[in-house]
Amino acid sequence: MPVVIELAPGASENGLVTMLADLLRQNLDDHPHKRADFEKLDGRVAIVAEDAGVALTLEFQRGKLVLHAGIVGIPDVTVRAPSDDVMAMSLVELTPKRALPDPRGEVMKKVWEGMRSGRIQVYGALFHAPLMFRLTRVMSVN
Amino acid sequence: MAHNFPSADWTAAYKDAVNGNAAYREAGKTWLHGAVAFVVEADPSLGLEKDSALILDVHGGECRATHWVERAVAEADAPFVIVGKYARWKDVITGKEDPIKSMMQNKLRLVKGHLPTIIRYVESSRQLVKSAADVDSHWLA
Repeated sequence: MPVVIELAPGASENGLVTMLADLLRQNLDDHPHKRADFEKLDGRVAIVAEDAGVALTLEFQRGKLVLHAGIVGIPDVTVRAPSDDVMAMSLVELTPKRALPDPRGEVMKKVWEGMRSGRIQVYGALFHAPLMFRLTRVMSVN
Repeated sequence: MAHNFPSADWTAAYKDAVNGNAAYREAGKTWLHGAVAFVVEADPSLGLEKDSALILDVHGGECRATHWVERAVAEADAPFVIVGKYARWKDVITGKEDPIKSMMQNKLRLVKGHLPTIIRYVESSRQLVKSAADVDSHWLA
């Protein structure tokens, strides 16, 4: 069954929305094994690229994703980061066996450093760890 | 001598600028994914009556050729096509704006191409744009 990725009305004017929609579509086409994670994703994740002044909300509904411009509804997880770090999140290295974020990876080290320094702020991840792990796997181009 | 942006002369000078950028040679050395086109949208107030495009035939950290063509040719020939208004390209080339941030803001748009590949080569893309700053440019506005 094809994955369903839709843009909410008006969201196509938001570059971050169109980029993430394309990224997820092409990534799921390239790596069909990631569809199992996509189909389990359920919840809202807001991403704010602070230096670009752009935000979006990913509304996952178990096999369907709607992308909204701005923060819509109450996100389960909110990520606030500079645009470089938002892009870096899709380059996070995954461990070979369980496809978890690899703490030895160069990009992952940069992400951790950003979280420690406060450059990257993530709210709600501890309470929604499965959502974050699945999202990381689905977003990662690796 | 300053070259009008965009023009055939500017496009030819851009090839030399890319090949003179050691950081691009390093960042792009594994790029084997084909040409990249930058489309400048028409702006009659600047004398740009139709969309035009620069095609960069980049391969393995080298720019093998550049071409100044109509948009339709670029969209047919180049696997990656990025579109923007004149003022946006000027801001990016002169370093006022970051290309990735501009894409997030919808000021530049990838209208053709595989985004995961572009993301893997973010530094390479940045260096291509930085090379453009080395071209002696004359701006229409």
